[in-house]
Amino acid sequence: MLQTQVKTKLSLVALLIASSMLTACGDSTTNIVEKDPIAVDDEHDHDDDHDHDHGAISSAGRLVISAKDSNLVSVYELEDGSLLDSFAVADTPSALAASAGKRYALVVQRTTDRVEFVDGGLFQEDHVDHLHDYQQAPALSSFVLSESRPTHITSTDSQTAVFFDGDAASGTPAAVALITDADITTDSNGYPVLKYSVNMHGAAQARGEYLVSTVRDADSATTLPDKVALYHAHDDHFDEEMVFAETCPGLHGSAQNAHVVAFGCTDGVLLITQQGESFSAGKIANTTDFSDAMRIGTLVGAKHAEHFVGFAGSNMFAIHAEDGEMDLVDWQGAEGAGIIGYGFADNGEKFVLLDNQGYLTILNYHGHAHEGAAEAEEPAFAFAAKVQLTSADVSTMPEGSRFELAISASDDKVYVTNPIDSTLLTVDITDAEVVATQQLNFMPHKLVWLGIAEAAEAHAH
Amino acid sequence: MFKPTLLTAAVFAALTSTAYADSITGTVTDAAGKPVANARVQLMGASGETRTDDNGRFALANVNAGEAELHIEASRFAHRNVHLDVPAAGLDSLSIVLLSSTIETIDVKASPFHASATESSLPVNVLAGDKLKMRQAATLGDTLKNEVGVHSNFYGGVASSPIIRGLDGPRVLITQNGLDAGDASRVGPDHSVASEASTATQIEVLRGPATLFYGSGAIGGVVNVVDERVPTDNNTRAEWMLQRESVNNEKLAAGSIVTGADNIAVYADAFWRDNNDYSINGFAEAEPEADALKGKVANTAATAKGFTLGGSYLLNNGYVGLSYGRLDREYSIPGHAHGGHDEHADEHEEEHEQHGAEEAVFADLTQHRLQLLSELNFSSGVIRAVNSRFAYTDYEHAEIEAGVVGTTFSNQSTEARIEILHRPYQEWRGGLSLHYKHSDFDAIGEEAFTPPSETEKLALAWVEERHFGHWLVQLGARIERVTIDASDVLLPDIGAHGDATDEHDHEHEHGEGSDFIRVFDVRQKFTPYSVSAGAVWDFSEGYNLGLSLSRSQRAPSASELLSFGPHIGTASYEVGALFMLDDNEFVLNTQPIELETANNLDITLRKFSGNTGFVLNAFYNRVDNYYYQQNTGLYAGDGHDHGDEHSNGDEGADEHAGELPVYLFTAADVTLHGFEAQYVWQINDPFKLTLQGDYIRARLNGGGDLPRTPPLRFAAELAYEQDAVSADLRASRYMKQDRTAEPETATDGYTLLDASVSYRFDVGSSQLTAYLKGQNLTDELVRVHTSFLKDIAPLPGRSVALGVRGSF
Repeated sequence: MLQTQVKTKLSLVALLIASSMLTACGDSTTNIVEKDPIAVDDEHDHDDDHDHDHGAISSAGRLVISAKDSNLVSVYELEDGSLLDSFAVADTPSALAASAGKRYALVVQRTTDRVEFVDGGLFQEDHVDHLHDYQQAPALSSFVLSESRPTHITSTDSQTAVFFDGDAASGTPAAVALITDADITTDSNGYPVLKYSVNMHGAAQARGEYLVSTVRDADSATTLPDKVALYHAHDDHFDEEMVFAETCPGLHGSAQNAHVVAFGCTDGVLLITQQGESFSAGKIANTTDFSDAMRIGTLVGAKHAEHFVGFAGSNMFAIHAEDGEMDLVDWQGAEGAGIIGYGFADNGEKFVLLDNQGYLTILNYHGHAHEGAAEAEEPAFAFAAKVQLTSADVSTMPEGSRFELAISASDDKVYVTNPIDSTLLTVDITDAEVVATQQLNFMPHKLVWLGIAEAAEAHAH
Repeated sequence: MFKPTLLTAAVFAALTSTAYADSITGTVTDAAGKPVANARVQLMGASGETRTDDNGRFALANVNAGEAELHIEASRFAHRNVHLDVPAAGLDSLSIVLLSSTIETIDVKASPFHASATESSLPVNVLAGDKLKMRQAATLGDTLKNEVGVHSNFYGGVASSPIIRGLDGPRVLITQNGLDAGDASRVGPDHSVASEASTATQIEVLRGPATLFYGSGAIGGVVNVVDERVPTDNNTRAEWMLQRESVNNEKLAAGSIVTGADNIAVYADAFWRDNNDYSINGFAEAEPEADALKGKVANTAATAKGFTLGGSYLLNNGYVGLSYGRLDREYSIPGHAHGGHDEHADEHEEEHEQHGAEEAVFADLTQHRLQLLSELNFSSGVIRAVNSRFAYTDYEHAEIEAGVVGTTFSNQSTEARIEILHRPYQEWRGGLSLHYKHSDFDAIGEEAFTPPSETEKLALAWVEERHFGHWLVQLGARIERVTIDASDVLLPDIGAHGDATDEHDHEHEHGEGSDFIRVFDVRQKFTPYSVSAGAVWDFSEGYNLGLSLSRSQRAPSASELLSFGPHIGTASYEVGALFMLDDNEFVLNTQPIELETANNLDITLRKFSGNTGFVLNAFYNRVDNYYYQQNTGLYAGDGHDHGDEHSNGDEGADEHAGELPVYLFTAADVTLHGFEAQYVWQINDPFKLTLQGDYIRARLNGGGDLPRTPPLRFAAELAYEQDAVSADLRASRYMKQDRTAEPETATDGYTLLDASVSYRFDVGSSQLTAYLKGQNLTDELVRVHTSFLKDIAPLPGRSVALGVRGSF
């Protein structure tokens, strides 16, 4: 048999993979950087599909789960379900959110004015010609935010905006901190902070060096803002560029995609569209599908999704900003089912809804449904399946607990914690089934997925 | 039997007007009132030390007023601590009574605490004097194998190293004058310890975790070889010995001298050993081949030589000294004949030897060792003493096969330890120890199973002890930072495979491995810590109870982490803990590398005065994340060229010829517990009977046993000593060991009978001793369970050694 000279080629292909692990107790660290492999002579023919990278870096990602009424947060490796480490934060977390790069979990402790950061240990570095994957042991970061009443966290794929509501009782005004994963990694204090003069239950969306954030009249009777302004970052602070004239009474809920930032208002959805450095405001008014009491109070967006998803109570709307359309989506919710978890999943191919009856509803998302004008109005979101997560009686849900959802950004899995029996469920949303149930040794409270997201380009719509 | 009916010895202090200001004088006598000469009287927590004269009298000058503690010891007597309240005017006519003892009490130099076999919370062995001269062997393991709690991992008599309570390798630290031996012996059992017993003055063993004083590598214990290479005085003295042994035709010559003048002391020693293959009563292999030769174990010849030069500057308050030593050793490596090469032994002895010389694998090692030792005492201020030790060793050994260097191991190490002892504070004695160690380890060649690595350790330790009435309390803590850097850790695809069923697939898909080797730059950092608390309770005259509780951590060694390759010395393919198996293929381990953590409880009950004495010791050691080599059930190539016939031939038995079983370093929780007992009875003046036994059980908590665990052992020794003659007869019974780890097999029990007789005479001012020493007198063919070479190299057969040694 002729010999194949694979070796020279291989030495040219720089197979640079790095990983780094940090052990649980913090008393030992391992740092591994893969270098160019050494080619060896081999007289045997080889299939080229031999994968030499597997096993090194977790592709399934990791979960950070907080415990009920506890200041402990635990990090699990999803490759094997192992508990990597647990960390004690200052106070019981009110929420968990992922940082822009999905490397860090923001551990929000609203009532004690604190956001701590758990490094999930999985991340990429841009090495110009390639993205370098790293795997380390989880760690509690020394980076901490400590403005008043951190509440809404929004992230793009590069920036995270943390909205601090401030506190009327103590007269503490609201603030927004705009951070990147690099700020957290380097424990920087050079990130820009928007300081308001009044408190508000607001929301902010990062747009590079711009920030679209809410404005509240100091005399307003409610803590909800009713306007939106554009801010521009300068070193450690923001300058106000403009306040959009279009109002948004009772503003609550915000989201963004590649071009548009959306805010929920009592009378509709405020849309701020960015073209280069120019921003314009518009609004989609509530449709006839809305009763008087209904309003969009929650918005979900994804960079590559044309549609926003808005929730008015347990009603779901598909909102197309460009077309100015807002369509009711039939997600086939059971009577009395309240939506408690939601999000785009499977790299934007699907949208999932978790309800308080213990069902996960899976919708297929066709982002470009409107393009085929000839086609009969195929809905953007189509019901695909409903997965019953538990056979337990949901009325036995412990006081102050609920099912919680985390969505993988690397594959077609979503994760649900069930406080009734303290389990963690892995749901394969392609097959619409629970593929794993893991017993936790604590009652779960909040959870968030961390890891290396699958490149979005690979799944262009 | 003599019973210690004496009440607490009469210790009284009388104030007299004639006493020297701030001095203590007194007399040491035995129970009958006869003076004890040459007893050592130490002022604890200070630098004062003196010896009694022929009338048992001593005087200690420069004693500060206040609380003081004297420690008195003498050969054949039990030690004694005397607590005093010294008035400003000093103390005069102190009377101290020592009780006789059958247990040797020689102070351990390896511990900053005062420790001996009868007074420490941790068990120790000390081999010194004539006993050491009689026990010394070519390897450290064989020198110490009769010590209670210590076994040898017998490696064909060429590289045996000691096993302490079932632990060896990276868990037992070997030191020379308290500083790392700096060799490659912790990496493989076929690598010789770079230290020589024939020129040592004392070899001491700390059984159990000694990480507090020595760091990570001492979790199982320490063997410290002490010599006078940096002399602490310049009284001229010399020792020499000549010996010839029958079983391997070993010739040994060794000698040392200390001398000097004024403030200068100098030291010199030299030794030379040479031996051939040793004889046995049977076949070397447990399953000899048809053409095997009977009566010899091939490849066990060795030759070694070395010298040391040292000098000290003696100060009023201590000394500073420097020494240089060189060691050369060439030894055959038994069991290094590789599968695949069939050595067709010739009938003719000479030809066989020639043939052997061509084909044999042997190691050629050279070590340069530089040590700087210093002790400085200060009479005032907070700091009482500063003890410093520095060493640089440059070690290299080449494994030479068929005249060609196959693999070279080298280790350059630098070490520094500084102990700063404070003046007693509230009667607490102790101090801080700062310890630094750097080792640059390389292995290059076909058997370089461990990639080059640099290990750096920096540690800070703190130890304190204090007497509370009859209690001595010892406390200590140590924190260490260990970094291991290896820039070229290799992960080849070795095409490891299981048994027959896979073979054909394997041949097609993987062949002899894949077309490239992955390379990693690995940086490890560990911060192990150790804490220990011990107590010695003198609950009754002549008795005490030692208790030691410790928690010690060890960072896995570079070889345990990074290895990936064939190791002929252990006949295995070793894979470090940095890797893991994923479906019969090795990949990077994604699990964290944990510290090995030992929680150890030691209880020692001693009786040390009167005609009988005993030391009973029980220990319980729970080790979490114990790194051990787990048999993967896979086989991989041994790294040698086998002409690639790798045929899946017709003979099933030859399937794995030229292949080695693959062992993966894995961390698991283990429990080791056992006991050691020693009983000494001075029957009458010339006769003394010593009985001893030890037992260790080493098991994985998840089920299963650890391999090569020493079997239950009993020994009895009857010694005779009168006038110019001393003799002893010793029988050691090793029981069957059937607690084994796959694929290890059970080993039968056996009894060894040793005897010796010595005759002392004077020539001029020299004292000479001529001796005859017999070992394995019944010529048993013994296979040692703790040996990697159990099935190919039994213990030497009957041997008689004739020697003469002298001193002046």
